[in-house]
Amino acid sequence: MTTAATDTKATGATGREPWGARAGRLLRAVLSWPNAAALAVAAFVAAPLYWMAATSLKPPEEIGTHPPTAWPENATWANYRDAFTDNHFGTYLLNSVLVSVIATLLVLSLSAFAGYALARLPLRGKAPIMVSLLMISLFPTIALAAPLFLLMRDMGWLNSYQGLILVYTALNVPFAIWILRNFFQSIPKEMEEVAWVDGASPLRTVLSVILPQATPGVFTAAIFTFTACWTEFLIALTLNTADRYRTMPVGLALFGSQFTVPYGTIFAAATVSVLPIALLVLIFRRAVVSGLTAGAVKG
Amino acid sequence: MTDSPGPANSPDDEDGQAIPYSGAPGPDRDVPLRPVPPGAPGAPPPATASPRPEPPRPERRRRRRPTLHPGHHRTALERRFARLGWMFATPALLVVLAVTLFPIVFSVAMSLSNVQVSSGGFRLSGLTTDNYAMLLGSERWRQALLFTVLYTVGTVLAELVLGTLVALVLERLSAGRGWMMALLLLPWAMITVVSAQLWAYMYNGVYGVLTSVVEGVTGSAPQFLGTPGPAVVSMAVADIWKTTPFVAIIVLAGLMMLPREVTEAARVDGAGPWTAFWRVRLPLLRPALTIAVLFRILQAFGIFDLPFVLTGGGPGNATESLALLGWQVMFTNLDFGPGAAVAASTAGLVLVGCLVFLRAFKSRVGDEEAGA
Repeated sequence: MTTAATDTKATGATGREPWGARAGRLLRAVLSWPNAAALAVAAFVAAPLYWMAATSLKPPEEIGTHPPTAWPENATWANYRDAFTDNHFGTYLLNSVLVSVIATLLVLSLSAFAGYALARLPLRGKAPIMVSLLMISLFPTIALAAPLFLLMRDMGWLNSYQGLILVYTALNVPFAIWILRNFFQSIPKEMEEVAWVDGASPLRTVLSVILPQATPGVFTAAIFTFTACWTEFLIALTLNTADRYRTMPVGLALFGSQFTVPYGTIFAAATVSVLPIALLVLIFRRAVVSGLTAGAVKG
Repeated sequence: MTDSPGPANSPDDEDGQAIPYSGAPGPDRDVPLRPVPPGAPGAPPPATASPRPEPPRPERRRRRRPTLHPGHHRTALERRFARLGWMFATPALLVVLAVTLFPIVFSVAMSLSNVQVSSGGFRLSGLTTDNYAMLLGSERWRQALLFTVLYTVGTVLAELVLGTLVALVLERLSAGRGWMMALLLLPWAMITVVSAQLWAYMYNGVYGVLTSVVEGVTGSAPQFLGTPGPAVVSMAVADIWKTTPFVAIIVLAGLMMLPREVTEAARVDGAGPWTAFWRVRLPLLRPALTIAVLFRILQAFGIFDLPFVLTGGGPGNATESLALLGWQVMFTNLDFGPGAAVAASTAGLVLVGCLVFLRAFKSRVGDEEAGA
């Protein structure tokens, strides 16, 4: 395997090799068992995603054919037009973006300071606080649905943006604190000591000395929070059922009737909903992976 | 809590230092992971062995740590920093307290009283265990509990085994590991409702692609979601597709942080790859696996989106999870008392599971506190 790896690298660097030799080398690399197994895994993961995108491009008649067509034979954008002009997926998408972005910003600003305090400042009871936060962040939201529904009803915040934003902020602060605290702890202490000695205020120290050092951590926390808000379903279904305030998951789940499920429209909207997350994951995959492992490494 | 920043810890410390920097040549080298906390990789036993030999001393040490100028103005400075710390932490903690802890308490209170719904609102009166009695006597609740437990155990086990296998494959991958990671992250980051709709379409009895594939192989059309047994399995497959990548990535990160010397030493000692994995690497992976399993158990136990969209809990109540049952009792039947009992008992079961698992890695949280 190692030879294969170095070989490919060498060829890539020079790029002067005859095409046939390069293809042969590539073939051999693919045929080594880990690569073949990885390809199988990739196919298993990608196949349903392909099917979603392919279906979104098929006209309704083609979606209902009995042996389904492997490739959209009469590809059309009609489903996309249907989802975003004739139906309200445009509104749902905007609602999702609005709620997720604002909640993410709030989560970051709250947990940056809390994470710093829990990482560096001499608070009593840090360990119980951190453990409680971890447990809260993993708590099944069903336990919160009814009380939050009643609370929001009393405040008149059912079917509103601020209600959902407040709940999403609170649900995601705990995990963000965990991630950020771990990153803050990895910053050398000398940095802040210099800032303190130079007479910087605490606020300034955090904002202009600590946060810039912890940029990867901030990105990680942001992506995790955004993904959690973007995909959340139960609370959104409980609090925001009015068509105008539905988020994407609620809109997608409640679309169609019991007897006809317009899959073309659903998958057109679904494909669009996957794109922002797919872009985030592609661009920041390192941050996401390190966030996943922050849990694994730090506990 | 076994930490004791004293001499007892130093050998562990050396292990901890060696781990992240020597064995991570992959694309994630620059991931800013801190050294594994002392005692993390291979030494969980002391956690339970000596829980409280000398409590006061580590306590004092711990509080002394954050002081900037040891020896000068310790208490005054420390008090100032503590005040500052609470100022920084309070807003976040208050929001969490108001929106999560308060509702949890309210939920429990609701489950223990008679709830009257009227046009004017809800009234809680009296202290009663009727709601829980109703639960225990309900066939539907027992069915939901059984389903949720079996489903959790089944999917988590499958995801753990498959995720570890995928991680082992990815570790040996000669090229394109970053792209594989990105691909694996897609199902994880997808809206669960979307994946549920997707699988519902693929399982569809008339025009589902999986239906025609299976029909082409066996000759008869399968019933994926129409009969109880296959419906449970079909739902589990959809879940496994979405979350195995999550487990795989955590395990892969754990694998890449193992010191290469350990595996090499095992090989020199004559262990085959199989033995080296079972006897040497798997035990070292235990912390990573524990976290992956903890996350997955808690998520799977609260599962709601997937049955809501894929099966609606059916056929019959075959795929009705506790969360789905609680939600339907509360928001479809408007029986808030019994619904709250379902929700609170689900949360209670999760809490028990949580505490059991926290025991397994509690020592590491303690270590970190002291070593910070």
